[in-house]
Amino acid sequence: MPESTNYIPPLSFSPVVSTDVSLYRSGYPMPLNFPFIRDQLHLRTIIYVGDKQELSQEYQDFLATENIKFHNIFMDSCRDPAVDERMNEVLKLVLDIDNYPILIHSNKGKHRVGVVVGIIRKVLQGWSLTGIYQEYGIFSGGLKGEADMEYVTMFETCLKVPKEKVPRFAIF
Amino acid sequence: MTGSNNETGEASAIDSLIENEAEIIRLIQKDVSMLRDNGNGNDIHRIINEDKILKGEFEHILQRFHDNCKREDGQLLEEDEEDLFDKDEHMTKSEEKREFQSEAQQEEVIPPENFSHVAGEIYRSSFPRVENFQFLQTRLKLKSILVLIPEEYPAENKEFLEKSGIKLYQVGMSGNKEPFVNIPSDLLTKALEIVLNPDHQPVLIHCNRGKHRTGCLIGCIRKLQNWSLTMIFDEYRRFAFPKARALDQQFIEMYDDKEIITLANKKNWLPIQW
Repeated sequence: MPESTNYIPPLSFSPVVSTDVSLYRSGYPMPLNFPFIRDQLHLRTIIYVGDKQELSQEYQDFLATENIKFHNIFMDSCRDPAVDERMNEVLKLVLDIDNYPILIHSNKGKHRVGVVVGIIRKVLQGWSLTGIYQEYGIFSGGLKGEADMEYVTMFETCLKVPKEKVPRFAIF
Repeated sequence: MTGSNNETGEASAIDSLIENEAEIIRLIQKDVSMLRDNGNGNDIHRIINEDKILKGEFEHILQRFHDNCKREDGQLLEEDEEDLFDKDEHMTKSEEKREFQSEAQQEEVIPPENFSHVAGEIYRSSFPRVENFQFLQTRLKLKSILVLIPEEYPAENKEFLEKSGIKLYQVGMSGNKEPFVNIPSDLLTKALEIVLNPDHQPVLIHCNRGKHRTGCLIGCIRKLQNWSLTMIFDEYRRFAFPKARALDQQFIEMYDDKEIITLANKKNWLPIQW
């Protein structure tokens, strides 16, 4: 890798889990960010939680050349009654070891991804709510996002997944 | 906001002092010509020294002037108060949480404030407290901790590290106190050398709040990952919010990574694994 290459990670990029599998979060990847994703993350799956339905040609091409599976999971607001179901879809993908490395992104990588990561921290990793709020706050720039946090607090699921596919970081 | 108000208040106090002093000097000068006529020379300081009343007044003003300067310095340090590790605060916060913990579910884990993954098995956070120990031990399975404060590590933390076989590395730096104190580059290189060594990972980097010193170190790690400066600073500010410092970001930009790159290449530590 040439030393002079400047990599530009997507907005609000961060690793979420980096123990047995690699799970990342970010804002919407733009062509500027493609070299970073291609050279550094070696993704197998991208999960987009958001409201934009159409993919740019560049993004489609990038996904095709890199052979990355793309899942568009429509999420508008966490007050939407269908959001539980969508969240379960995300969890199902996250709980399958064959999908890793995974990048979950929304538009700015703050609120929607914040909720998804919050749910992962709570349901799969058993983090305290304090820790979850903290993390949400770091990425949302100090905004409390009460509705989002209420959603995370109340969220419960009875999702069933094949045990042998569950990554080790998920202990619940 | 109160800080800036104080500053203007202070400035006008100094202004009036100077005016006051100028007035006195004018008076003295008037006297001087009189004294000179009396053959006492024209050295103002000697005249002040010889006249008891004048001397008293002069010293009083000097004293007040210096007091004011001192107070200004004091304020400057206060602003960075949270960089200092406060043992009592650490204890009380830990105790508050300890009570709370006994009622909560046992399996629940509490990450330290400002905790995050950096890359691979490198993590960052603020100063870990008692309630975070379980998280560090059972979830992160830490092998080492790198602490960036110069103060002594608290006994309860030390005890925990011994019990769980986590090795402590300390590179004490005192943070960028704008504009007078700077993080020395060689200390940062030393810190990077500890963090990048895979034998030390999983490793947690922390200072007091996990904002400034830790932020500088993470910024330099990002440089080694060839991140664009804009995104490095974006990350720095996210964790330092709402107290981002221009000089920390300048430090990251100016940090000369040649030495650490040479070393890391020799030891085959690069590229840093995700």
